[in-house]
Amino acid sequence: MKVIVCVKHAIDESELTADVNGKPILQNAQTKMSVFDRNAVEEAIRIKETKEASIVVISLGGDDAKKTVKEALAMGADRGLVIQCDPTELDTLATSYYLARAGQREGADLILCSEGSSDTYSGQVGPMIAEWMGIPFIGYARRIEVKENDVKCEQVYEDRLEVSEAKFPVLISVVSEINEPRYTTLLQIMQASKKPIENIPFQNLKGSDAPQTQVNVIDVNLQTMNRRRIMFEGEPDEAARKLIEALKKEQVINA
Amino acid sequence: MSVLAYSENHDLAEEIFTGALEIASQLGGEALSVHLDDVESIRINGKLVLLTSDRLVSGNPDLTITAFSKFALERKPSVILIGATRLGRQIASQMAVRIKAGALSEVRSLKVEDGKLVGIRTVYAGKFSAKVAAPVPCIATIPAGAYEKKTGTPTSVETISMDRMSEKTLHIETKPKTKESTDIKAASIIISAGRGFKKKEDLDMLEQLAKTLGGAVGCSRPLSSDLGWLGEEHHIGLTGAYVHPNLYVAVGISGQLQHIAGIKDTKIIVAINKDKLAPIFQVADYGIVGDLYEVIPALLKHLA
Repeated sequence: MKVIVCVKHAIDESELTADVNGKPILQNAQTKMSVFDRNAVEEAIRIKETKEASIVVISLGGDDAKKTVKEALAMGADRGLVIQCDPTELDTLATSYYLARAGQREGADLILCSEGSSDTYSGQVGPMIAEWMGIPFIGYARRIEVKENDVKCEQVYEDRLEVSEAKFPVLISVVSEINEPRYTTLLQIMQASKKPIENIPFQNLKGSDAPQTQVNVIDVNLQTMNRRRIMFEGEPDEAARKLIEALKKEQVINA
Repeated sequence: MSVLAYSENHDLAEEIFTGALEIASQLGGEALSVHLDDVESIRINGKLVLLTSDRLVSGNPDLTITAFSKFALERKPSVILIGATRLGRQIASQMAVRIKAGALSEVRSLKVEDGKLVGIRTVYAGKFSAKVAAPVPCIATIPAGAYEKKTGTPTSVETISMDRMSEKTLHIETKPKTKESTDIKAASIIISAGRGFKKKEDLDMLEQLAKTLGGAVGCSRPLSSDLGWLGEEHHIGLTGAYVHPNLYVAVGISGQLQHIAGIKDTKIIVAINKDKLAPIFQVADYGIVGDLYEVIPALLKHLA
């Protein structure tokens, strides 16, 4: 069987800093594979370990998106594909369109993605790809059972679990509790550099139904959290007493 | 020029209807609160639409989406507001492709400006906020707490039957998540545990502290997702619950951005951690640098 995993080459939000005006410094910002996508890659590899499967990793971005694809290849994917574009010009509707067209070009039984990206966390691209491709979507899976021609999944919603089945081809988004992603060894990273990565300009995937970007980001500002940071150090007993006193004064606990 | 509001979560449905009314008045149209199940308990002051079906829709994500998008495609609304639950995000995304509209994600403070729907959302794990816009018609998912509910009695109920629906995925069953039900989003005090706890049994003292203060128990992602010491409904953060209690006590939580994203709107944040440099102290109103295994018993002693 053939499995596609969609991975996002994301801004590393933990390293992202702001300039004096509170705007994010996106130029030369640190990037990484979106954290939750590692679970999608891991799940594909686990499927490959039990069934005969080939794994294609698809990402979207400039030359540096290769870094994220290589990471997935080091984990155990077989082949990579980068849709070349400026991702800041594409909203989720357009991003999902090009991923869907690349997915169709490849053809797969199973497409995996994560529930959302660690930088913007819209949770939209996965279900949108399924819709563009006209294939079933199973969201928030924490368990995937791959059968001959179909899958059975346990999905996690806020207050309940749902169990659903769908025939191939199907797109599944996974939650991070599904597995523990593996770490890669230096040897795997070196071997991954021999695995093929294909580049496709996004224009080559553009059909007459390609959408215009609808959602525009007008402004981005640092969120400030004005907290007082009053610290109680020293003896735990004394610190605990002072804390309770302070919380009573704040009227957040009952006297 | 109608504005549709939908959430399978009744509380959220009532909240986002307030947003729908605001946008409808800016657009000069009407707001409709759409439901697929029992509407008896919905207390909104406005128009209700009930989509009925010969199939059991409740719990079936695919059929919920099919019914809602079928209705929305016929009604051609200007704006569709959907509660930002997991199911809601899925519906908004699939709808967006079906009607080729933009989908704003997790937005608050919505306004119509020059034919565009404009809203504010957080990005980069809550570190930044972004102003985003999409031309009308468009879709937006709205998080809990973005609007205050204005409860009342529905002014009209329109029933529309949605028969002969088909789905691409086969729904097998709905299962309850865990036996305990914690309504963490409604709690005014939350005591939360992180990796600083050495074993599951040690959470007993945290629970005791929560009980003493009349609060709920929360946790960071590793405890629910990786270790499984607490159910996923306790998980607070970017991929878990967003909470806004009066008091949030983070015990043994280092304070990863993803966790902090879920507690930003808290009134008072307290951090207890033995690592003086833990990032959680940067966002805390009060902090105790110390071993939780000493601090919690001390707190319990002074509260007794």
